[in-house]
Amino acid sequence: MQKNILYAGAFLTLVLLQIFLIDNISLSVYFHPLIYVAFIILLPLDTKPIWMVLLSALLGLTIDVMTGMGGLNIIATTATGFLRPFVLKMVTGHAMGTDASDTSLHRLPEKNFQWYIIAMVVLHSGIYFMMESLSLMHILHTLLRLIVSDIATVMFIYYFVKLFIEKILNR
Amino acid sequence: MYKLIEFLRRIYVVLLFIAIEAIALNYYAHSSYYTQAKILSRAHSIAGGLQSSIFGVKHYFTLRGENEILSQRVAELESALAYYREKEIDAQTDSLTMNGIDPLMLESLSQYRYTTARIISNSISRSRNFITLNRGLMHGVMEDMAVISPSGMMIGYVVGCSERYSVVLPLLNVDFRTSGKIAGDEHFGSIYWSGNSPYKVEMSDLSKHADIEVGDEVVATGLSHFFPEGIKIGYVESYAINDTQTSYHVTVRLAADMTKLNNVILIENVDYGEINELENNPQHEN
Repeated sequence: MQKNILYAGAFLTLVLLQIFLIDNISLSVYFHPLIYVAFIILLPLDTKPIWMVLLSALLGLTIDVMTGMGGLNIIATTATGFLRPFVLKMVTGHAMGTDASDTSLHRLPEKNFQWYIIAMVVLHSGIYFMMESLSLMHILHTLLRLIVSDIATVMFIYYFVKLFIEKILNR
Repeated sequence: MYKLIEFLRRIYVVLLFIAIEAIALNYYAHSSYYTQAKILSRAHSIAGGLQSSIFGVKHYFTLRGENEILSQRVAELESALAYYREKEIDAQTDSLTMNGIDPLMLESLSQYRYTTARIISNSISRSRNFITLNRGLMHGVMEDMAVISPSGMMIGYVVGCSERYSVVLPLLNVDFRTSGKIAGDEHFGSIYWSGNSPYKVEMSDLSKHADIEVGDEVVATGLSHFFPEGIKIGYVESYAINDTQTSYHVTVRLAADMTKLNNVILIENVDYGEINELENNPQHEN
């Protein structure tokens, strides 16, 4: 129960940070970090697939409504949430979440943990930016946006998830 | 039967995922800047207070530069006013011709009305950017009002209003369209943003007979009902004739720095309703 409140707190913090801080940083057209995906990343490894999909959709819906984007964030977050088990399987080489002793994210070896974050961020922003531009005409432009934004996103999420899991969840 | 239920139990997450994605994709495909602006202006009725206080802090740091621009503008307007005062005195001495014109009537003859607003949120990093202003219906802001910077450069026009906030479709939105021309020349082209640089827009279909040079000023035409004729858009940065040799494609460097906006001026075209009504009059089609 108490953990659920902590996760809800993380959800709220990330949404508010994205909308009121990150979206107000107007550095360049290429700099558009999507940090709220951290919520999907830090969910426990044994989260049921149905909850993964529902919570991801809720996250996307919240951002969509607050920023007036027409469904773009739901498309990206729901796909990311749905595909998370496959990403985990890919980075660790075996299915996670079936073994009860292995459900906390910080049990992931450091290297797998980093790859997991990078894969999730690239997956999410890849869908997001491709759907936003909806054409291959500006593919180089889109790729550059992806690279610049993802470097910032991965760095932020790495420290955010570490902080959340080590300092708040396992206090 | 049992097997069917078992099967559904195994794939219901996939089905749910497909359903959500289908709804979202369908909605995204059918959403236009208009529906987005509607949602945004609703959301701002809830979150607008927080948003505007955050922007208020940011605003504080740019006050000095803004003051300079404003005082320059005041000086410009003062000199214009002095000019008109002189004219008025001339007219009064020549009172035979001016006799009987009511100043109130003069005001109602002017086609445009001006008001100011402060920006509370502004993005440049998406392909569909919007600007939110701290003025809404209750302050007399309405859809289709033109938005310009304090120094008179084109920014966009209002597409959605709530009671206290309004949403602007800026030049930096791929759905933005208006017409523009080279200052001092009557050929016009259509202005749009390609989504790449926040400092540049494109002008296409400018007649090859247009008199164009790098550095020329690009201004609004009177053809758009939103913008008064002559509002500055930017400067010609480069131009090239298209493949069929019929028109120029021009890259325009924006006059307004869209990344550093704080205060804006809203312009209402008083005659817009009348013109619009006339244009949409079904009698035209007969």
